[in-house]
Amino acid sequence: MSAPVVRAFGSRAVLAVAAVLALAPVLFLVSLSLRGVDDISNGGWLPTRVRWDNWPAAFDTVPLARMLANSWLIALGATLLTVLVAVPTAYLTARGGRRGQRLYSVLLAAYCAPPVIAVLPLYFLLKSVDLTNSVLGLALVDGLANVPVAVWLLDGFVRRVPRELEEAGWVDGLSVVAGVRRVVLPLVLPGLVAASLVCFFLAYNEFLFAVSFAQSPSAQPLTVGLSLFQGDRTVQFGQQAAASLVAIVPVYLLAVAAQRLLIGGLSQGAVK
Amino acid sequence: MPLWLAVPAVVSLLVIAGYPTVVGIALAFTNSSLARPLRSFAGFDNFVAAAESVAFAGSLLRSAVFAVLATALSVVAGVAAAVALDARGGRFGLLGTVLLLPMVTPPVSVGVAWKLLLAPVGGAFTGLWDALGIAGFNPLGSGVGAFSTLLVMHAWQWTPLVTLLVYAALLGVPAELREAAALDGAGWLRTLRSVVGPQVAPSVLAVAVLELVIAFKVFDLIVVVTSGGPGVSTTVASFEVFRTAFRGSFEVGTAAAETLLLGLVVGVVLAVAGLVTRRVRDADR
Repeated sequence: MSAPVVRAFGSRAVLAVAAVLALAPVLFLVSLSLRGVDDISNGGWLPTRVRWDNWPAAFDTVPLARMLANSWLIALGATLLTVLVAVPTAYLTARGGRRGQRLYSVLLAAYCAPPVIAVLPLYFLLKSVDLTNSVLGLALVDGLANVPVAVWLLDGFVRRVPRELEEAGWVDGLSVVAGVRRVVLPLVLPGLVAASLVCFFLAYNEFLFAVSFAQSPSAQPLTVGLSLFQGDRTVQFGQQAAASLVAIVPVYLLAVAAQRLLIGGLSQGAVK
Repeated sequence: MPLWLAVPAVVSLLVIAGYPTVVGIALAFTNSSLARPLRSFAGFDNFVAAAESVAFAGSLLRSAVFAVLATALSVVAGVAAAVALDARGGRFGLLGTVLLLPMVTPPVSVGVAWKLLLAPVGGAFTGLWDALGIAGFNPLGSGVGAFSTLLVMHAWQWTPLVTLLVYAALLGVPAELREAAALDGAGWLRTLRSVVGPQVAPSVLAVAVLELVIAFKVFDLIVVVTSGGPGVSTTVASFEVFRTAFRGSFEVGTAAAETLLLGLVVGVVLAVAGLVTRRVRDADR
């Protein structure tokens, strides 16, 4: 065999293995969620008989519907806040010269610290304003915590907007802020959508703040609900699998639907 | 440029970084409870308690080892996948999206999925263990096994980030460079090693630092998969701090002292990583 043939075959083999590895754990969850207790303990990859009762049962064991709603509320609120803060901030880091650079470095440094460091102080802060056990409280914390990620992704997009375009706007009488809104924002829209998606995923998947700040089911998101299944001694694999899938399916659908924006935003924004 | 544009950034930084740092230091040097913070000055008592805590003492090293090994694993796997994608040619497409899915999976779900996959009863490999004569094998049963399994789970989730960013960097290598190497008679592997490699090395290093940062934050997986066990073999610092503050003992002051020490360790490791990155980048020029 010639070298190019070996290479083509080798690269496809590597990618096939990678794709199987990427999908296997989640596909196994799907299989478990469709099996009864006996069918599961018999082992194997596929159900011998498909049954759906794990799904409604999972919604009874923990208040999954409430938690799913909480997850979405927290993630949407957090993303909105992140974007509102990140747009003016990314404009500053990209266009603000040396001060902008310094702001960028400080934001990245803040992102590097493990979030557990902020948990206790933030707990006391939320408690003092009565926002523990609150969807709003979690949305606020997650939203602010994700600002560095959004700025990191957006900064590159703002930098690629030609300065002349903005300057032309200023000559036409636009203020700096109006220029950001009417000239810069439309041009960085793909980056903004990608950054919003990434921040949505981060807030939706967040667990540490949620488990620390929300003790009551009324404010707990899905991630906390899933961890509660673990405390159960009589672990119901099928229900657990179904509940995990309830958390996974929306993000997978979003990721597949927006794949091009997501990939473009991540790879163009991040590689500098 | 109007200064008030900086207000959102400054407020955010105060809430997520400035305030936690100041209060964290205050908590570390005082006696506190979750109901009543900052009750009385404690000197270094909290640090002594942290140092004497068996679970915490080893957890800093465990976190650092976890971060370094997880980074190595994801970078190697991610670069391999990126090179394969590049060699295949064509668009990122559906296959690329499939490869990225682990990254958006909630870490709690990742833990549940892998735990069920590896379960000694009802797991996906029970048949394989039987065939190998190790029926009922539980990878999470031993300390080393549990630690390694968590490494694999974490790498499963975060390898896609390396794949994506390194693939983007590979696409950025000018085609003329590869053509010139081919004209000079260099084969694919030689071109990859001597021409493409140095071009993407800075990106690979930057991604490695990012992976290091992410791996230091590991928490969800530990809670769901091992709760720090067996023994303390998977008790990383983030988990131990959380347990000290919110589970069982509620020792707020000790937990605060532990977070300061954790911050110090993360800072040192990242500073070294940053230094290495800069060295390599400067050596290129």
